[in-house]
Amino acid sequence: MNLHTNEPVLQVEGLDVRYGEFKAVRNVSFDVRPGEIFGLVGPNGAGKTSTLSAVEGLIKPSAGTIRVAGFDNRKQAMQAKASMGVQLQSTSFQPELNILEIIQLYAGIYGLSLGKERIETILDDIRLQDSASKRFGQLSGGQQQRVSLVIATIHQPPLVLLDEPTTGLDPQSRRQLWERIEAMRDKGHGILLTTHSMEEAESICDRIAIIDHGQIITIDTPQTIIDTHRDKPEVIAASRKGRITLEDVFIGLTGSAVRS
Amino acid sequence: MSTTTTTTLPASTTANNLPTAKTMLASLLRADLTTQWRNRRASLLVILVPTIILISWKGLVERIGGPSVLSNCITVGLMAIGLMGYSNTTARDRDKGIFQRLRVTPAPTWTIMISRLTVQLLMIIIMTLVLFLVGYQADHISLNPAGYALGLLVAIAGGAVYLSLGQVIVGLIKNPETVNVVVRLVYFLFIMTGMFGELGMLGDFVQKAIKWSPYGCVNRIVSAGLAPSTWTADTSKYLLVTIGYSLLFIFLGIRWFKWSTK
Repeated sequence: MNLHTNEPVLQVEGLDVRYGEFKAVRNVSFDVRPGEIFGLVGPNGAGKTSTLSAVEGLIKPSAGTIRVAGFDNRKQAMQAKASMGVQLQSTSFQPELNILEIIQLYAGIYGLSLGKERIETILDDIRLQDSASKRFGQLSGGQQQRVSLVIATIHQPPLVLLDEPTTGLDPQSRRQLWERIEAMRDKGHGILLTTHSMEEAESICDRIAIIDHGQIITIDTPQTIIDTHRDKPEVIAASRKGRITLEDVFIGLTGSAVRS
Repeated sequence: MSTTTTTTLPASTTANNLPTAKTMLASLLRADLTTQWRNRRASLLVILVPTIILISWKGLVERIGGPSVLSNCITVGLMAIGLMGYSNTTARDRDKGIFQRLRVTPAPTWTIMISRLTVQLLMIIIMTLVLFLVGYQADHISLNPAGYALGLLVAIAGGAVYLSLGQVIVGLIKNPETVNVVVRLVYFLFIMTGMFGELGMLGDFVQKAIKWSPYGCVNRIVSAGLAPSTWTADTSKYLLVTIGYSLLFIFLGIRWFKWSTK
């Protein structure tokens, strides 16, 4: 795929995901463009993770098509997977391996030959040059997230998938991660991120999709979504600060009942 | 937002130039070997149990023969590697999401499994060689070169049974704590019924049943492998049954294996 065009790096069309009789995702369609941070937000059980898992190729959709950088993620699974970088929600590297070994493992899987200089640049970039020999299990949550993000982008994928990347981070680490995500966007990566934080979605996402009960309710820029729904009674009722925020719109559209 | 501007990202280095499965397997293998090395205390314990049994059974060498003593100890070691080592590590890594992280890469799933099984195969070879050495040094068990070579080969074949049995357990049970409990239970059940049953202490029926159980078959082929002159047509049948067990367990273990605990 020629990334010097504005063709979407991810195209999801008519996606359905079923678990037995339960339809977790219903007719979901959206796209992510190069140089864009696209947020998928929704309450617990709304269908975010199922949508993301289908894009990652971890679950088989019951209907719909997914194209990553032009590659069909079922028919050209290897090419599609090579065109995406993924940061999963939970820490997911062998705790016995050190940072250097993790970088070498994933570089090998993507067929990259990284010289000493390149590895030093990578470590320097995530400010872990002194911790290269530290085992993954010994790193702090913020350091683990940085390593995870570096691995997700080690092969310069057109699409980067981030599943709740700032969960559990302190405000400093969260801000730092936002800057890194924005830097990735500036380099041209298309980024699909899921989050529970409306502050995060409003701050860094160029466009967001609000998903609930497996269906997308709305897709647009955060400000347009606020402007479109600000006069709805349920949104006004959800307002707590005297001005309408994305969180108010989110609560107004998805309801205030706590989801399991 | 920069959706209307052209991007500067270099084209993905891999999508149109995927590495070979061999390259990916080499990277996975290096990582898995490193992980095994870092967990060497656990690996040592797995080898230590049959080694202690071998040393403590020195008095039995005269009575039941060196190859028989050695085969019992190798069988115990094979069970420990396949059931305790492989199952627990796989269950733990699955729970941590390590498999899922690897599955979102272009690495074929079979390379992930083959890499892990290769490491366990190496453990089987090391354990068998250690027992050969300890048997020679401590119990004065000396075999001819053909015995050592065939013994090593049948140990690998026998190890496959327990590795695949471990795969079935970890495939059927998602919770790593439950996997740990079940493999210990199966391990001790196999050892107890296997050893006492073979000696006829649990009755004729159990003795016959044990003969054709994974424990009995592996024990017999390893024993005959260590003393090739004792290899008979019956031993070949035990070898076939051993291979059958492996294929059955591999089928069931892969059929039901869940890559995620969710």
